[in-house]
Amino acid sequence: MRDDPSVIALVARVVDGDQEAWNELVERYAPLVWSICVRYQLSRQDTDDVGQSVWLLLIEQIGKLREPAALPGWLATTTRRECLRILRAGRRYDHEGLPPDDQLPPDPLAPMIEQEIIVAERNAALRAAFAELPQPCRELLSMLMSDPSPGYAEISARLGMAVGSIGPTRARCLERLRRSPHLVAVLGDQTGDDIEVKEPRGEQGD
Amino acid sequence: MSKVTKGWDDEEVLAALQQALRAQRAVPPEFIEAGKNAFAWHNIDAELAQLTYDSTLDSGLELSLRAEAASIRALTFTSRHLTIELEVAQDSLLGQIIPAQPATIKIQPREDAETSLATDEIGCFSIQPIPAGQFRIHCHTAAGVDALTGWIAL
Repeated sequence: MRDDPSVIALVARVVDGDQEAWNELVERYAPLVWSICVRYQLSRQDTDDVGQSVWLLLIEQIGKLREPAALPGWLATTTRRECLRILRAGRRYDHEGLPPDDQLPPDPLAPMIEQEIIVAERNAALRAAFAELPQPCRELLSMLMSDPSPGYAEISARLGMAVGSIGPTRARCLERLRRSPHLVAVLGDQTGDDIEVKEPRGEQGD
Repeated sequence: MSKVTKGWDDEEVLAALQQALRAQRAVPPEFIEAGKNAFAWHNIDAELAQLTYDSTLDSGLELSLRAEAASIRALTFTSRHLTIELEVAQDSLLGQIIPAQPATIKIQPREDAETSLATDEIGCFSIQPIPAGQFRIHCHTAAGVDALTGWIAL
């Protein structure tokens, strides 16, 4: 997986004290923190506590991250440790009190962390790419993705677009999405970095 | 399908985008908002005071201890320059700042307005009543050191 240069730039801006960059970083990675808490089946309150600890630790330590590109991994590991603390103690306290990772007893959910990082990075890249599409593209794709999906006739009426041009426009918008630098950064270029995205391990498709 | 490349077809890329947007919508706005608010701790002198001792975690008896309200609960939070010791007494929470020095203590309940009090000359303070929900303690010493504990629930 390639490192998304936009993450490295965001981290640098946060270190310089840019609240906007921090907001972007939180929006980008909140789904990662959230999804790991969901995997550990934490209550909503415990999830809030984990989030609180993770972001506080991050803002405190972000200037010391040796490798800004490793941020997703740092976040995932920190989130997992906070989840474990809460589960062990029955309640959460602070970010002390757990032994180093390699001394933790085996955690059956540990292998999913890598998976969550990959999915989160891919999702973040897709959202970033989508956000940069021209407005008409975003509207069309949003309608196509809505559930239940309106028919072409309704899309045509709502967007003032000929039915016959919906298909080609859709294709153009998706091509544009695919070519976004965000996606190229995360998914690799044509030289063929493959990324596993589907859940079941040991099952090789294609 | 277990692999995707840049060579996604249209259906795949649309499905992936749909999943990405759905993952984002699954996160409550308050969760994100709380994360953004953590920026307030950027580059200010407040140090995170980490829990370094908790009597209930000190032995394998934590469950039975928690069940017995009579047990004395003691917590220690340590930051770079300060140690905050807390002890749960019958109807109050007793604390002390180490090294001993006067400080302002702010109690920040998760779901309530903060209250503040002053320690005595040697950094001792008493919080009454014991906060019912989760709270944090923010300590500001006369010498200008700030420390903030993680969330505490007693």
